[in-house]
Amino acid sequence: MKQNNMLAMILAGGRGSRLHDLTKKVAKPAVSYGGKYRIIDFPLSNCANSGIDVVGVLTQYESILLNSYVAAGRRWGLDAKDSGVYVLPPREKSDANLDVYRGTADAISQNIDFIDTYSPEYLLILSGDHIYKMNYAKMLAYHKECKADATIAVIEVPMREASRFGIMNTNDTGRIIEFEEKPEQPKSNLASMGIYIFNWKLLRKMLLADMKDPESNHDFGKDIIPTMLNDGKNLYAYKFKGYWKDVGTIDSLWEANMDLLDKNNELDLNDSTWKIYTEDVTALPQYIGSEAVIDRAFITQGCVVNGEVKNSVLFTGAKVAAGAKVINSVLMPDAEVAEGAVVTRALVADGIKIGKNAVVGSADSKNIELVAKRVKGDE
Amino acid sequence: MSKAFGIINFAGNHIQVDGLQAYRPVGAFSFLGRYRTIDFPISNMSNSGIDNIEVYVRRQPRSLTEHLGTGRHYNINSKRGQLNIMYTEHNRIGDIYSTDITAYIENMDCIERIHLPYVVLAPSYMIYTADYSTFLEEHIESGADISMMYHSVDNAKEAFLNCNTLNINKQKGVLSIEPNHGNAKNKNISMDTYVMSKELFLELVRKAHSTSSMYTFADILNEKCEDLDIRAVSHRGYFAAICDFNSYYHANMDLIDLKNASGLFNPDWPIYTRTNDSCPTQYFEGSKVTSSVISNGCLIEGTVENSIIGRGCVIKPGAIVKNCVISADVVIGKGVRVENLVVDKHARLIRGKRVIASPEKPGYIRRGDML
Repeated sequence: MKQNNMLAMILAGGRGSRLHDLTKKVAKPAVSYGGKYRIIDFPLSNCANSGIDVVGVLTQYESILLNSYVAAGRRWGLDAKDSGVYVLPPREKSDANLDVYRGTADAISQNIDFIDTYSPEYLLILSGDHIYKMNYAKMLAYHKECKADATIAVIEVPMREASRFGIMNTNDTGRIIEFEEKPEQPKSNLASMGIYIFNWKLLRKMLLADMKDPESNHDFGKDIIPTMLNDGKNLYAYKFKGYWKDVGTIDSLWEANMDLLDKNNELDLNDSTWKIYTEDVTALPQYIGSEAVIDRAFITQGCVVNGEVKNSVLFTGAKVAAGAKVINSVLMPDAEVAEGAVVTRALVADGIKIGKNAVVGSADSKNIELVAKRVKGDE
Repeated sequence: MSKAFGIINFAGNHIQVDGLQAYRPVGAFSFLGRYRTIDFPISNMSNSGIDNIEVYVRRQPRSLTEHLGTGRHYNINSKRGQLNIMYTEHNRIGDIYSTDITAYIENMDCIERIHLPYVVLAPSYMIYTADYSTFLEEHIESGADISMMYHSVDNAKEAFLNCNTLNINKQKGVLSIEPNHGNAKNKNISMDTYVMSKELFLELVRKAHSTSSMYTFADILNEKCEDLDIRAVSHRGYFAAICDFNSYYHANMDLIDLKNASGLFNPDWPIYTRTNDSCPTQYFEGSKVTSSVISNGCLIEGTVENSIIGRGCVIKPGAIVKNCVISADVVIGKGVRVENLVVDKHARLIRGKRVIASPEKPGYIRRGDML
């Protein structure tokens, strides 16, 4: 807390129901990405790299794995004295009944007591299911420079897609004058990234009021931000440039993985000055066999490749047998493709086995095929 | 928790690895890309429930201390266990007085303070996996004074030179311990791995020290073979001794074959190492990689054949890497062809278009060299 007087809260309760079987037993922030990571590694590593010491993670949906995963703060270096990752699921309190988090703002409201123990000057609100690298210290500096009450990170999106996002309309100085949630006729292309810095004292007051408001959805985008604008508070948009992805669907998760195959891709996971930290798994180095053919691939330790891998991402422990082909696909941790099997434009879920000579997915499919059950082959 | 504590010994004066050893002790050598040789004995101990480990180091402790850290990554209990680096002030590599016995004598009070009745000793220059908990149990059951591990080999004429060998009788009693002079094919190579009571260990160390200032632990054991009941325990599976430059190269190369590797690695017996948080390896269009072991964090655009590539290496387009052991953070430049080499950390082979050694005598590129 001493570093910059800012505490971070990561909203990690989302179901991610459009990821189907991938989020049946784990929350979306715990979904695997990029060969060796889980999505929540990104906000957590960003916090660690930005000099934030205390991070609260608000979990709710299917949280067993997520709770134990984030609790090991040392994975991200968040384990020094006065530093840590705190898992915050809904809880019973002496003065209130046990209640689920009713919205993003309510999740924070229900943890005002936790935040008060640190009495930070600033509160950083993050989403646990976005893939990006960002220096929150720079955003805080901008927040202070603008003397803002709240600062919202925004990213320019193509105008034609703007109606899918929460859009910020700003004046020349970058001050937000209007916020529109998924507007049919967007006036700008500055999309909210769901990253907010608030002056804690002010937000605290607003949350207490919001909790009592029966009309409220208890949501930052729907309630808190509009109220602040109505009250004439100083809200500023902080423009972020770089890779940012909200992987809501199987197609977009696949795509985000495929992005890693490009040379000089924007996310640049190889940047040693801004590493993304994750669980330290015990695995052998990659074993590439004598008949292997690898052409454009992102492969991590624990993989064994004897067949052909083209335009694909292989996660920890994935195996491709001799004579098998994996094309334009993603093999999640411990997925196995047996001899002669062909996997095309597919995302094979954790630990799933594709049998001998089986054919999965097709080159001209509209959507990416999610393979979440064992595919029997010739054996 | 084990009834034994562990001692990991440094490579003695009989071990000379040209090149690499100038920068770090054998225990800190990069191995199979992502490991260091010391990861094997420490993981063996940790997996065997040995939580109290002393690692002896003679010179240039930097790379080893950096790698070992608190020992947390070896799955050693952070409260009840400990991993201690025992640095001996007066020890120098190559100095005839600089023996393991001198190191133990210097750290005697630390060893005496450990309240565990047994000690398991293992070397830092040998690569193998073994369960020391059964080794200890069987030793206690046998009633022997000392149990020691050996590996039977049939290539002792050209390999394992400078290692110690055991003469064993039919009852697996050790008759003598002597250096491998390369005069016979079949030998029982001593794995420098022992279990005995702490009391006996200390007694032998003191005895050795008072007998000769140049005595090693193996020397005193050899002398005591008749008086003590020393049992030889055979080891199976993958075994390598890094006793010279060639053996380092071949120990790595042998493990490119997944069949050989399965004699060393077992899913129930993890080999721990320090993470570097490097991202997965990116294979670009035009890359051609076969029969190789690749670590994370590499950018590969060229050809890699029958080689081991360490963390964070860059293989540029048109580069050809064949039969090489490449350490971490090495760059092989555009169109550069390298064969039969050990390339040490941070080296950049950019200008020389061909650096090729003969397969019988692999070459060595120094740490941080620019070629």
